[in-house]
Amino acid sequence: MLRFLLTRLAGAVVVLAIVAVLVFALTRLASGDPVALLLGDQATTADIAQARIQYGLDKPLPTQFVLWVGELLQGNLGQSLFLQRPVSQALLERAEPTLFLALFAVGIAALIGIPAGMSAAIWRGSAADQAVSGVAMLGASIPSFWLGLILIQFFAVRLGWFPASGYGDPSASFGERLQHLLLPALVLGLLNSALIIRFTRASMLDILGEDYVRTARAKGLPERVIMVKHVLRNALVPIVTVLGLTLALMIGGTVVTETVFNLPGVGNLVVRAVLRRDYPVIQGTLLVIAAIYVFINLGVDFIYTLVDPRIRLEGK
Amino acid sequence: MQSSANTVATSGFLRLKPTRGSPWRPLAGAFAACVALGLWAGAAQAELPKGGAANLAMVGEPQGLDPMVSTADLVGTIMQHVYEPLYTFDANWNVAPMLAEGMPVVSKDGLSYSFTIRKGVKLHNGRDLNADDVVASLQRWMELSPRGKSVAKEVESLSAKGPLGVELKLKNPYAPLLAQLALPSGMAAIMAKESIAPQLKDFIGTGPYKFKERRPDQFTVLTRFDGYSARKEAPSGYAGRREAVLDELRFVPVPNANTRVEGSLSGQFQYADLLPVEAIGRIEKGAPAVVPIVTKNFGFPYIVFNTKEGVLTSQPLRRAVQTAVGQGELMAAGFGDNRFFVVEPNFFPKGTPYYAATGSNVYNTRNPQAAKEAAAKAGYNGQPIRIMASRQYEFHYNMALVMSEQLKKAGFKTDLQVVDWATLVQRRNDPKLWDVYFTHSGLFPEPMLSPPQLGDDAPGWWDSAAKKSSLKAFNQETDSAKRGALWGTVQQTVYDEVPFIEVGKFNGLSARSAKLEGYTPAIWPFFWNTGLAK
Repeated sequence: MLRFLLTRLAGAVVVLAIVAVLVFALTRLASGDPVALLLGDQATTADIAQARIQYGLDKPLPTQFVLWVGELLQGNLGQSLFLQRPVSQALLERAEPTLFLALFAVGIAALIGIPAGMSAAIWRGSAADQAVSGVAMLGASIPSFWLGLILIQFFAVRLGWFPASGYGDPSASFGERLQHLLLPALVLGLLNSALIIRFTRASMLDILGEDYVRTARAKGLPERVIMVKHVLRNALVPIVTVLGLTLALMIGGTVVTETVFNLPGVGNLVVRAVLRRDYPVIQGTLLVIAAIYVFINLGVDFIYTLVDPRIRLEGK
Repeated sequence: MQSSANTVATSGFLRLKPTRGSPWRPLAGAFAACVALGLWAGAAQAELPKGGAANLAMVGEPQGLDPMVSTADLVGTIMQHVYEPLYTFDANWNVAPMLAEGMPVVSKDGLSYSFTIRKGVKLHNGRDLNADDVVASLQRWMELSPRGKSVAKEVESLSAKGPLGVELKLKNPYAPLLAQLALPSGMAAIMAKESIAPQLKDFIGTGPYKFKERRPDQFTVLTRFDGYSARKEAPSGYAGRREAVLDELRFVPVPNANTRVEGSLSGQFQYADLLPVEAIGRIEKGAPAVVPIVTKNFGFPYIVFNTKEGVLTSQPLRRAVQTAVGQGELMAAGFGDNRFFVVEPNFFPKGTPYYAATGSNVYNTRNPQAAKEAAAKAGYNGQPIRIMASRQYEFHYNMALVMSEQLKKAGFKTDLQVVDWATLVQRRNDPKLWDVYFTHSGLFPEPMLSPPQLGDDAPGWWDSAAKKSSLKAFNQETDSAKRGALWGTVQQTVYDEVPFIEVGKFNGLSARSAKLEGYTPAIWPFFWNTGLAK
């Protein structure tokens, strides 16, 4: 087991090293100059050159890379060019809206997706099934920015029930922040519920064909008990896996929704950092997101060995 | 010294009077209401209810909070509430004193300026402002600010004379000095001496608001400074009495223009800065809760030519390109609704001291045949003209598309390179990479403030004997009446040598909640003397 863990850890380090090289190369190979943006339109070339020296951007790229990796090895993600704070601090500040948005959205997706998928499976082939499947297809095809704008138009501008954008005033309470998250969470939830519907329907149908369901029916159990106790409970394992995956995807996948709703989350941080070429922020954030994925995978592999001894991971 | 005030006097830049029968009519009501309410004079100020916080949706995150280092408008817009300069502009764009007691005493030869600071002005740390603060601040400005550096070349010495006196000596007469000291972007901000550092940590100024908190991409919050020492004169433009009526100003970066529009319609933002002109219909439908703000002569798009390297180093060829270009079509492509732009050859609007009709014969010609002949004469042999434009500002891109077509019609080969703004501002510094690029600037009350191509070293690298002599005459003349005529010569030189093409003038569209009272339209929007109705 220890050997397995060590091998996987070494693999993770290699993956992260490759990510670091790629991220650095991609950000630097794209043209654009953060300093010219920082100083504004009236700055002369001499001003810009001087500021490049100040930020160490005049050094050759390999030197810059070595300096950056040196900082990384000391656990330092660097200092943002624009935000006047360390990248790690900027990331921590942005983690909250993204995390809550993702949790909220997955909650909504589950609340919509599981009952809808169940009813589609139970009344398979009926008009209800057709309708639910149709809506799910539609949901999966709507672009999130469009749905976001429509919801803003209706719920924020016309009805005034929710704020149109942002994450609340500086002094906003947790409740007010959640209110700001509801519309964007609804967008992500609606779109992602399509997947949950299909998964719930499919795994319910699988289980409905099992022998033990027929036995339960033969025993004369009420249909309600069969569905909840025997079918849903067994169908839940793959559904929960999908929900988990959806949550993980959302950590980096809320970019468009965050932009439409002007939410100060991680996705927004990356997009704006790219637009202003804030190299340390782009590099740091992408590396951290990659690290999260790598370690979640590592964790999942590890848990599999505990849960299911049939999965053999000994480093053979 | 009234004469020095006049040297940079322009008038009516921001006057919002609609002309009869003009296409402005749908908005005329709103303007008339503003004018009638006397908002310019700030007459309604006394009745503004004190307190409250305003959410102000801005176009993005400020590039920093140091108003000297960055010349970006957004930084100046926010930090002009925290820091004040010695001088500022009144409603007619005359230079007016702010931290200075009055206009400076200028020696007869125009080389020595004596400033006296107002007595008892409180800094945000509670101390009284003195001459040492001013000298240290201006010194920092001349070392760090792009604008200050260009002034520093003209300055012989700067020193304190007593607790409230400051003396500035010039090498040569330099007429734009007071305008340079007054401008909010790249600001000659006066700060507490002890807070001065290459990178500011504490923002200690004298303004009606003090810095409270910045959370990047979320908000920058300023709160009322209770010890503020206001001037006694009635408010006029940026000048005169300032009062922090609102408790708190929250500048919220909202880069998505559509989100700014929706946010102001839903009442979430009390002010939304710089909206796309297409949004005017939606804003108007939001009445009476939302009021559109049109700032006339807000800025001008201009097309810079590379005079240092590449195909357009040939002046006759640049003239040929100029002949092919139709600025009217470009402005229509860029701004659509003709309530939002003006097509005219004069760089400065009629009624201002720098209004000049010189060069109008070569403006908006759009003559492909003549251009073709001129290009052939200039020896053009089909090299592609590389036009660089960004979609970050959609009107740059739309104009570039049209210009590219206009040039093709005249037989030019064009290579339209659409890049993002960060790339454009980098590439334009390399003369090998481009022939033409699109940009724009705010319309400032002093010609020397923009575009930077009038100075040295700006992309395009325009440098000629005619430029030097016409600008020298203009900059050394301190008599405003004569300066107007001298500007006409500079404008003519620009049309002759084509270092850049001024396309036209555009108006700015913003929106405010009807509850935000006392707001005065301005290029760098400010929120003192502004309150929220309950």
